[in-house]
Amino acid sequence: MTDTDVSRVRMTGISKRYGALQSLDNASLNLMPGEVLGLVGDNGAGKSTISKVLSGAVIPDAGTIEIDGRPVSFTSPAEARAARIEMVYQDLALCDTIDVAGNLFLGREPKRRIAGVPMLDKKTMHERARDMLSNLGIVIPDTRMKVENLSGGQRQSIAIGRAASFNPSVLIMDEPTAALAVAEVEAVLELIRTVSKRGVSVILITHRLQDLFLVCDRIQVMYEGRNVAERRIEDTNIEDVVNLIVGRKFTARSAGHNHQERGAPA
Amino acid sequence: MSSEPNAYSSHPPRLRDATILDKVVANGGVMSIALFFIVCCLFFAVTTDAFLTAPNLLNIIRQSAPLLIVAAAMTFVITTGGIDLSVGSVLALTATLSAAALQAGVPWPLAILLMLALGGVVGLVQGYFIAYERIPAFIVTLAGLSVIRGFALLITGGYSIPIEPTSPFVTIGRAWVLGIPAPALIAIVVLIVAYIAFNETHFGRYVTGVGANAEATRRAGVNTRRIILWVYILSGTASAAAGVILSARLGSGSSNAGQGFELDVIAAVVLGGTSLFGGRGSLVGTILGALTVAVLANGLILSHLSPFFTPIVTGFIILVAIWLNFRLFKDGARGR
Repeated sequence: MTDTDVSRVRMTGISKRYGALQSLDNASLNLMPGEVLGLVGDNGAGKSTISKVLSGAVIPDAGTIEIDGRPVSFTSPAEARAARIEMVYQDLALCDTIDVAGNLFLGREPKRRIAGVPMLDKKTMHERARDMLSNLGIVIPDTRMKVENLSGGQRQSIAIGRAASFNPSVLIMDEPTAALAVAEVEAVLELIRTVSKRGVSVILITHRLQDLFLVCDRIQVMYEGRNVAERRIEDTNIEDVVNLIVGRKFTARSAGHNHQERGAPA
Repeated sequence: MSSEPNAYSSHPPRLRDATILDKVVANGGVMSIALFFIVCCLFFAVTTDAFLTAPNLLNIIRQSAPLLIVAAAMTFVITTGGIDLSVGSVLALTATLSAAALQAGVPWPLAILLMLALGGVVGLVQGYFIAYERIPAFIVTLAGLSVIRGFALLITGGYSIPIEPTSPFVTIGRAWVLGIPAPALIAIVVLIVAYIAFNETHFGRYVTGVGANAEATRRAGVNTRRIILWVYILSGTASAAAGVILSARLGSGSSNAGQGFELDVIAAVVLGGTSLFGGRGSLVGTILGALTVAVLANGLILSHLSPFFTPIVTGFIILVAIWLNFRLFKDGARGR
């Protein structure tokens, strides 16, 4: 699966404008098979937008996308899904009034035919949903529960489970750990390692910089819709990444150094 | 942390199996309307002699067939978070046009098909503006309500058009099959199909998805605009079917038919626990809601009260039922 130099994803010259705001300005992204790319940047830097372009949820104004060397142009999320690109959206994109199994299979529900009429195969859906969740170690008592009755962590687990379970070749995760407890974050990072070993390329967007250093091969920094830097993980450290994100020398106590200064007046 | 591969086994067990009470609470809307329906029936059964007789009950079903059919379609529309205010006008237009078509010598099966197609086209046009031009459904169908009723008035000049009583067309509204009125049979078939479509098909699932989170449903690869377009085609076609049944039963097509019909339909759907905000719909609730509206109208007349009490009582019942829904079931059903 990692036998060639062909990029799994190659996005070049991607631009997107929302009214007065140039959300993406000639941005690019390269991703090798099995590679884990950390995408970082300030709020509004364009991380979510470029990943939504790849997942087909946003159509760019300009730019080209190649998947495994073949140019593609997604006009809908369905086409990106067909190209085995899955995304965990920051807002999770769950339907509250639909049950767990229904959300996992949303848009690709198994069919059965009764007198030639295609129907939802709910039995298969619930059986496979239970398997999918238990394979990922997600504990949901009942796949018939409506998603609105679940906790934030469970909801996030379902969004991740949905993206990871349909044999993706690219898995995009936009803030997948925002609502998770420490142990659950650990488990998501473990999941990323596992799927990338299987050859799945992963794009991880997160504000938790320490996580990047646990799973990523490479970090790409965006600033106001442009790529500003790229670092192999072994060539960089948290301080360096923080400076790249804000675009200047910055002493972030949250980045884990200068512990003795904590509590000192700003 | 966890050593086995591909496992995030760290979820704290928040196990709690869904109990019967959970299911009652989750179906709170249906439960409260079922209660209301039973109370209404008991009340009229006790206070009037004629209510609980087979001819009267069959009459209620016969008269409420148009309401049941359109309310079934409206359940889909409202579950997507939309609304269709034009159903009464479409009913009037198709009622008058079917009478006019028969008078002009169009064979009756063709007249029916033409009317259903017309309703579908009206729904298609409205659905296009709602789904593809993103104009709020309330505005599009409010305009539709006005325009379509206007056409009905224009065509008839305000008079009603008679239908030849010997025409086989009137059997749709008047015939009895196996002791059941034909309109009721049509309504039952429509309701069964609607129930299956709503609960057991991909279309029904996406209707709920669009109402719950349209963007999430779109991102899941569903063509949400087409789903929205289709629910308006359904409500237009259902309204046309109601118009055909009504004109067949009455033996004439009147451009003033179905004034305020849209309000009865919406009341029936909302009484049944379908949320006007979308994402939550129940066809069983809609059936009970429509029957409650019909039983109230019938029972109040049998009680020798002024028929003008009907809208007053119906309005109050809607308010109380929805209020009960919110008070009794809201906390449980929306636990988060």
